[in-house]
Amino acid sequence: MSHPAVELDGIWKRFPGVIANAGASLTVRPGTVHAVLGENGAGKTTLMNCLAGVYRPDEGVVRVHGEEQKFSSPADAIAAGIGMVHQEFRLVPTFTVAENVVLGAAPRVISQSAIVRQVTDLAARFGFDAEPTRPVWQLSMGERQRVEILKALWRDARVLILDEPTAVLTPQEAVELGKVLRRMVEDGRSIIFISHKLDEVTSFCDEATVLRGGETVANSVPINDVDATELAKLMVGEVESAPVPDRVTTPGDVSMSVKGLKVTDTRGLRAVDGVSLEVRSGEIVGIAGVAGNGQRALTDAIAGLETIDAGTISVMGSDVTTAPPQARFAAGLAYVPEDRLGVGLAPKLPLAENAVMREYRKLRKGPFLSWSAASKFADDLVKRFGVKIGRVDLPLASLSGGNLQRILLGRELSGEPDVVVASQPTRGLDVAGVRAIQRLLLEQRDAGTAVLMVSEDLDELLALADRILVMVEGRIVGEFDARTASRAEIGESMMGAQA
Amino acid sequence: MLAEITITQTALVGISVATIQFATLLYLAALGETITEKAGVLNLGVEGMMAVGAVTGYIGGAASGSPWVGLLIGALCGATFSLVHAFAAVGLGADQVVSGLALTILGLGLADYVGADYTGDARRSHFQDIDIPGLSDIPGLGSTIFSATPVTYLAIALGLATWFVLNRTSLGLGIRAAGESASTADVAGHSVARIRVGAIAVGGAMAGMSGAYLTNTLLGTSWNQGVVAGRGWIAVALVIFGAWRPGRVAIGAVIFGFTLALQSRMSGFGIEFSPILLSMAPFLMTIIVLVVISYRARNQPSPAPAAIGIPYRREER
Amino acid sequence: MKRLALARRETPTRGGAPAAFLIGLSFALALGAILLTISGDSVIEVYQRMFERSLGSKDVISATLNRATPMALAGLAVSIAATMGLWNIGAEGQILFGATAATFVGRLFPDLPGPVLIVAMLLGAAIGGALWALGPGLARAEIGVSEIITTLMLNEVALRLIQYLQNGPWKDPDGFSFAQITPRPEQAGLGDIWERAHLGVVIALVLIIGFAWFASRSVWGYELRIAGSSAKTAAYAGISMRSKILGVLLLSGAVAGFAGGIELSGTAVRLNENIANGYGFAGIIVAALALMRPSGVALVALAFGAVQVGGVSIQSIGVSSAVADILQALILFGAIGATVLSNYQVKMVERKVAV
Repeated sequence: MSHPAVELDGIWKRFPGVIANAGASLTVRPGTVHAVLGENGAGKTTLMNCLAGVYRPDEGVVRVHGEEQKFSSPADAIAAGIGMVHQEFRLVPTFTVAENVVLGAAPRVISQSAIVRQVTDLAARFGFDAEPTRPVWQLSMGERQRVEILKALWRDARVLILDEPTAVLTPQEAVELGKVLRRMVEDGRSIIFISHKLDEVTSFCDEATVLRGGETVANSVPINDVDATELAKLMVGEVESAPVPDRVTTPGDVSMSVKGLKVTDTRGLRAVDGVSLEVRSGEIVGIAGVAGNGQRALTDAIAGLETIDAGTISVMGSDVTTAPPQARFAAGLAYVPEDRLGVGLAPKLPLAENAVMREYRKLRKGPFLSWSAASKFADDLVKRFGVKIGRVDLPLASLSGGNLQRILLGRELSGEPDVVVASQPTRGLDVAGVRAIQRLLLEQRDAGTAVLMVSEDLDELLALADRILVMVEGRIVGEFDARTASRAEIGESMMGAQA
Repeated sequence: MLAEITITQTALVGISVATIQFATLLYLAALGETITEKAGVLNLGVEGMMAVGAVTGYIGGAASGSPWVGLLIGALCGATFSLVHAFAAVGLGADQVVSGLALTILGLGLADYVGADYTGDARRSHFQDIDIPGLSDIPGLGSTIFSATPVTYLAIALGLATWFVLNRTSLGLGIRAAGESASTADVAGHSVARIRVGAIAVGGAMAGMSGAYLTNTLLGTSWNQGVVAGRGWIAVALVIFGAWRPGRVAIGAVIFGFTLALQSRMSGFGIEFSPILLSMAPFLMTIIVLVVISYRARNQPSPAPAAIGIPYRREER
Repeated sequence: MKRLALARRETPTRGGAPAAFLIGLSFALALGAILLTISGDSVIEVYQRMFERSLGSKDVISATLNRATPMALAGLAVSIAATMGLWNIGAEGQILFGATAATFVGRLFPDLPGPVLIVAMLLGAAIGGALWALGPGLARAEIGVSEIITTLMLNEVALRLIQYLQNGPWKDPDGFSFAQITPRPEQAGLGDIWERAHLGVVIALVLIIGFAWFASRSVWGYELRIAGSSAKTAAYAGISMRSKILGVLLLSGAVAGFAGGIELSGTAVRLNENIANGYGFAGIIVAALALMRPSGVALVALAFGAVQVGGVSIQSIGVSSAVADILQALILFGAIGATVLSNYQVKMVERKVAV
């Protein structure tokens, strides 16, 4: 029996504050398509980066075709025949396909016609057209991905790692990709396919390894022998949900209504593909889903930071579809964006200036701002929301995540909104911070505010939300009653498995 | 205004020669800056580097009696001087605009300081024209356009070499990648820092050479303060005018060179238009070109290197 | 294999801009000393004379103040644009065109009483400077054209415009064989208020302080800071980036143009091509050293003024005044080094870091 193409044994990788891989392992048989499955944060990409030479594992052994390897850079891994196609492509937009493929691995003197021919031949071997003379900026995401694959093949990668490859593909392109992968496998190469989408995994892959919490919970499970539900359970785990507090409020009228929303993101993809939802006063609606399925575009569009292709948004009965952000705020819509320091707050400015960002127009005194009023506003905010701040005039950037979030949420709530849209509100916070923010959201709900909350943390949604919507690839694919739904059910829906 | 233009044979020859000389001057400096910017670095220190090359090139040429030595020394000093910007902008990641402007101020200051003793000095060495057999014998224009100083031929050769390296070699691909998407170049195995420092040094050498050409052939007098007289800025404009392509920059150099040559000869041709207003032309034309480029860039990528001016620091994780 | 690299510090070392400036100054003086010694000039003589002749007596201090004034204004102009991350490299040209516009006003109304004429001319200068920045501002706000290049190009155009006027329409008939522009009206001069320092020094100071105060307290200034934070934050707060970009460049141009007007009525007697004298470019360096803060701009401009005045004075002992330019540039490079080292530290790391 020949050696496994790849063997990762007991890999540990730590970063400040987090253990990404805790003794994870992986065995890939040569000539197979091997899936690496897991939720966000399970450690899949980190593990593969260890294999690809981007990271050096703190402990553990990496073997390629039976030989132990210690990669100190991606170049070493490439030399050993490992190629990786990352989620973020590394291409030069103004170069042609051929130029991108050969960049860094080209002969001293480059003959355009020669590399064009060679790249075309290489692509043809694997069953696709290369279009070597087209500039990359004109290409679709699927075509760009093929350039990335060509790059790896040009360097004769025997093991190709693909990180969430279908995230940027249309269904058609995904099918094409599958064909290319099959040809590569027939050529004797091995593919490692990182994914969280069960249906793809079942159609593309031969075997699967499941990661959870940085550990390997299932090793090289043959796809044909297992069904989707079992895989989903392995990925999501059978964790007892925390006891749910009794809900005393019953939701009232519809406070915010979104109909048929379609949004295109900066990459030209349809990020939100016909979303309709309602949030009633006194309820928390959670949106679950693996990050990158359109949640950010959805909340940005609702808040007025993204242009909409189609659809309507109304808040408390008034149509705000084309209204600028401050008008939506005045209509009662508050927004806590995911990107605290890049969107919600101005890190170089002090607290008072950040505190009045949404309502400063009310504090005008002629051409000036009433800074005494702004100060008072800031002080109120600090008291009401328990912000721990030393000197009030320091730029915000020095504060902790928890404090920043208190400021952000507090500022948004100070407008006495009817609707609060919060995107990943507790991400990156310490335990006390998480509790504080969650408590604030619950208080809002109890006071009759309608809350729409996007979170990667399913447990959080199960604890806080009344209803949970699942968003996959820009669409709402499932709705669950948070009180009665099981973690596994929702997890399956998130993974795209047909219920 | 332009009604009575009188063109004599000698005037035409005179202006052609001057055009080629100015074009050579501008092209050398602009080609160097093109390489630098293609690699992703903005170097606004061209005027200062030319001044350094001018004074050291003069001293070298006068002391040795050979204009080639002057040219070489000018190039070397220009390259060395440019390393200050390389250190600040690439090594330290400082703002390239500020560093480049400070380099100009420093260069002009150093040149004035070092050249203080040589002001008004009458010694100078100069190049002899080289004829191209056959072509130079064409009566009239032939002897002007096809007999140029060796520096002109050198400039043409450098232009061709630059085009070749940028477009037909792996190094050139790496240089262009460093200027478009530094992280991509880095991941592909090119050292962005080394490429950029090298490009800055080459730019400095060529600007220095241009300055040395100025004081070894072009001028009728010797070195003095303010000899560069804003032509470094014209070179910076020329890079943009030529859309960062060696061939187009060459064409632009001839056009801009022509306006420079025309300025002192307009009355000779009977043109009654102010030569000073004409001297604004290169700058205004560059603005127009840039506006057009930017306007088109809404739908397709701009020819400007995308990473220009942005310091690159590899993310440590 | 180990190599040197810069690694970001956890907390930047304190001291900030003033410390960086002082380090830069020390660096410049040290390197300058080396240069002087190599050339055979006496370091002590040169530095001593520079200091004495710039800061050593009330008379020279007042001259230094005069010199510092346009640089401080240019520095202010550059910092204004920098709040939005924009580079106004065209301060030099805006100074020239501002002075040109002021001259135009003076020629139009040569008989107005002094104070009125001065105000009119200064206003004209500010408007002129703003006009010279209008093109670049519009181009940047609407199409995204790099303001670095457009403002830079207009420097050269403004210079040539003055040369044209000097040789043509505004030529002084009494100028003997020199081509020069007719002098500005006599009553438009800013009188001396202290030793040799003219009124413009005070006006500039008032403007800088006033502007800093206005920017920090006004709605406009606040919106500018938000917009300068990030485009998305600006959208979130409902602020139009385009109008802010245009507004900031216009204001920046106006301040630089104003500096030209001050120079015309202050130290200069007539408009000439040297009236900007590198102050526009110096202003960029000044702003960079002052970390774009108005409070620092005045102090750094004063230091540069001293260096320049000192530089002129050493000509009488046979040393080129270019030493002043060299020192100014070296101060900047030294300060860059100091600033970078305060944010990063030099460490030995493994080659080709893969963490």
